[in-house]
Amino acid sequence: MLYDRIFAGVFLVLSGLVAWTAYYFDVPFQYEPLGPKAFPIILSIILAACCIWMMIKPDQNTWHPTKEVLTKIVIGLVIMVLYAVLFEEAGFIISTTLVGTIFSWLFGEKPLKAFLYAFVLSLISYFLLADLMQLNVPTGLFFGDF
Amino acid sequence: MDVLHYLSIGFSVALTPLNLGLVLAGCFIGTLIGSLPGIGPINGVAILLPLAYSIGLPPESALILLAGVYYGAEYGGRISSILLNVPGDAGAIMTTLDGYPMAKRGEGGRALALSAVSSFFGSMGALLLMVIFAPLLSKLAIQFGPSEYVWLMIFAFTCLATMVGKRPIKTVVGVVIGLLFATVGIDSGTGILRFTMGIPNLFDGVDFLVVVIGMFAISEVLILLESWARNDLKLTPVGKSFISFSDIMAVKWVILRSTISGFLIGVLPGTGASIASAVAYGTEKRFAAGKDDHFGEGDIRGLAAPEAANNAAAAGSMVPMLTLGIPGSGTTAILLGALMMFNITPGPLLFEQQPNIAWGLIASMFIGNIALLVMNLPLIGVFVRLLSIKQSYLVPIIVMLTFVGIYSIHGDTFDLFFMILLGVFAFIFRKLGFSLAPVILGLVLGEVLEENLRRALSISGGDWSILLNGTMTYVLAIATIAALIAPRLLKVFKK
Repeated sequence: MLYDRIFAGVFLVLSGLVAWTAYYFDVPFQYEPLGPKAFPIILSIILAACCIWMMIKPDQNTWHPTKEVLTKIVIGLVIMVLYAVLFEEAGFIISTTLVGTIFSWLFGEKPLKAFLYAFVLSLISYFLLADLMQLNVPTGLFFGDF
Repeated sequence: MDVLHYLSIGFSVALTPLNLGLVLAGCFIGTLIGSLPGIGPINGVAILLPLAYSIGLPPESALILLAGVYYGAEYGGRISSILLNVPGDAGAIMTTLDGYPMAKRGEGGRALALSAVSSFFGSMGALLLMVIFAPLLSKLAIQFGPSEYVWLMIFAFTCLATMVGKRPIKTVVGVVIGLLFATVGIDSGTGILRFTMGIPNLFDGVDFLVVVIGMFAISEVLILLESWARNDLKLTPVGKSFISFSDIMAVKWVILRSTISGFLIGVLPGTGASIASAVAYGTEKRFAAGKDDHFGEGDIRGLAAPEAANNAAAAGSMVPMLTLGIPGSGTTAILLGALMMFNITPGPLLFEQQPNIAWGLIASMFIGNIALLVMNLPLIGVFVRLLSIKQSYLVPIIVMLTFVGIYSIHGDTFDLFFMILLGVFAFIFRKLGFSLAPVILGLVLGEVLEENLRRALSISGGDWSILLNGTMTYVLAIATIAALIAPRLLKVFKK
């Protein structure tokens, strides 16, 4: 199965959904001839036409990921989601140390060295970002009164 | 002389201590980012954008900083091209052709210095052209009505589709997805909600920063994960060679030609540094054919041409962004989005009503280029050392900066999840041979395009023929058709 056909199929369905949603927009009042519906509908027609064209003339698959590569990407993704979950609750320092360690390890660093690097990085960055640049960096529940 | 008057306003803005510091910082960070393998100018600007926004810089200062990062990175991109044979981004591909052979010959120092000088003359020349032509273009654009703007944007998308990437259809899909993203949120004309799926965070529309960071930085991290094998790259030593005066004299006409062609290609919407450097390289190769031609084996002309051209194009692509509000490349699309976040709509009036922004930026680019030349000749050793930074140290920093940057905008973790989702989508998108620049261009221009289309049809009372009314609309329509068929005609002629 060619990836291009799958992609085009998904977006063909999506363009249909967009057009359908836009067609049933509830517009109580409107002062101009075109209104909020027309533009999305025009776009979805163009998108649908492109998708049909892509299904007729798809490109060959040029991406051949191995199992190893896919596992790596999935691990990377899971860690990023984890980072997003922990970011507010655990705070910047703890979450960055954890996530930084795993990323550093994924890119070939030894576990202990990766941990030390991530820990120092998160400490230095916290003070740079929160104090020097006055950014909104979460301290987390643990360091709440810090 | 109007221009000199405005330029002096510009320099008075650019020379304030804050802005001067930001130009220097921007150029330095840009060179740094450009020289790190794997992060190109577009990622650099994307990662720094939310930080610049959150620390509360005034708009002209934020723009000066980000633009500095942009052209600084175009400068820095040549370092990994020459020493590692790994181009930092598409604009630097041509630099590897003659730069790397020179480095292998032991002339790394000469190649680096020559490319720095070519880059300098390329951007300075383009800046002078910009000072002359940008005000003229903005004077012309003041007469543009909504129909003309609709055509301008269609023209930009057409150029993008026919000139960038292998499959025009994939560019069109990208543009349409970007345009659809832009319709999410409250409709400004009627106040109804569109495509928000009941999520309150989307009522204000899709946050530009979240899309940019998600699509560029997060997908880049995933691509780095996939292609991680950088440790076996061999760094070619710089060597003790340096540029001589006769080198510069030997390439002076090459630089001049490449600067002009690079600038013109940069001004064309949708075409940027990568096309400019390819065209300049090809032209010079043809010029030199038969006359002591060593292109591809370390010819200094083959190094000077793409370097002058891609920096000239970087400056040139600022012209349509500032005067028309239509960006010429992915990176300028991000800069345009940055301006819009500060509630500044670039366009023909920008040059007259807010000269401190338009001219301040231009003046800062003059200063920045001099600073870059000064930084790049003696400090080249520092940047070269950066090439050996391990990915295992770099990636945690990228991930951290993207998360902090996005979180600091609204302080809401929804944005983080949304960013990751977009990153996954963009990763798949890139793997299937789509490019991301069209999506960003569509996103930035979506609202403007819809607004102008609706305004035009309001004026005509729903009559679509208003889109072909007046000389300028005809000119733009013909230009669009020309952009559509010109590449095919060229192919036929080549055969």
